Amino acid sequence: MLTQMHVRGLMFDPYTNAYIIILRDDSNTEMLPIWVGKPEASAISFAMEGVTTPRPMTHDLMKTVLDTADAKVISVVVTDLKENTYYARVHLLYEDSEYSIDARPSDAIALALRSKTPVFVNDDVIRKHSNEEMDRWLENLKPEDFGKSDA
Amino acid sequence: MKLTVQGVMPDAVPNSDSQVVILQDESKAHTLPIWVGLAEGTAIRLAMEGVVPPRPLSHDLIRNLTEQLGLKISKVVVTDVKNNTYYASIYLNSKQSELTVDSRPSDAIALALRTSSPIYVTQDVLDRLAPENVDPWLKMLGSKEFGGTA
Repeated sequence: MLTQMHVRGLMFDPYTNAYIIILRDDSNTEMLPIWVGKPEASAISFAMEGVTTPRPMTHDLMKTVLDTADAKVISVVVTDLKENTYYARVHLLYEDSEYSIDARPSDAIALALRSKTPVFVNDDVIRKHSNEEMDRWLENLKPEDFGKSDA
Repeated sequence: MKLTVQGVMPDAVPNSDSQVVILQDESKAHTLPIWVGLAEGTAIRLAMEGVVPPRPLSHDLIRNLTEQLGLKISKVVVTDVKNNTYYASIYLNSKQSELTVDSRPSDAIALALRTSSPIYVTQDVLDRLAPENVDPWLKMLGSKEFGGTA
């Protein structure tokens, strides 16, 4: 199952020196943070704010190449989460055939915002994300966090 | 005129995020320095060093997109320079036709290196290069810090 999500915001994470894209579904029940690098974050923020640069940036070029060839981005899907790395696929229509190409979510989302195509997230990813987060939370627990009521 | 990438180095201006990509022709008679951003400079350096990142970076994705759609990048050309801004075109062959896409030289070069496509510059751009812009980089190219690849 896929859930459509929208880019709701972009935050700076001072601990990892990286940026976080916040994806949310329409009902605001599911949230997915994705860590991205600085150039990818600016590519996404330019598209969110509708900023056009004097010269085409890398993802503008990506879109122009596809437009010029008459290839159409249908959707992008965040498909998997393995060892803290998110995986995505870009779905394209070209000469009556469908193509699906492996991408980092940051590139896929930067392209989706420019091509005004929907972003979907596989429900497994949302589930795994909450599990990994739970694991991290458990890992960070110290012995003294337990049995405090007895102390 | 056909050029090859000789190296990517940090800009000489202190505290600058810029990188300079040095292109030269085969006879090394012509040198073209092009200023690019840090991200683009890194994309070019990784391709030069043949580094294959675990996940596709932005230019790897463009290459993968074109390859899967059966579009072949035939060449990239640095076509113009206006107010210190360089312009480039990427030439793509589809089944039916040759397509041209406007690009920054940094993206064009990053793609050319990933697709083993030749990089050209128009004579016009070379003619308009001021020697004082080129000479300092020629010196650096020959210097030890740069590994003396020149």
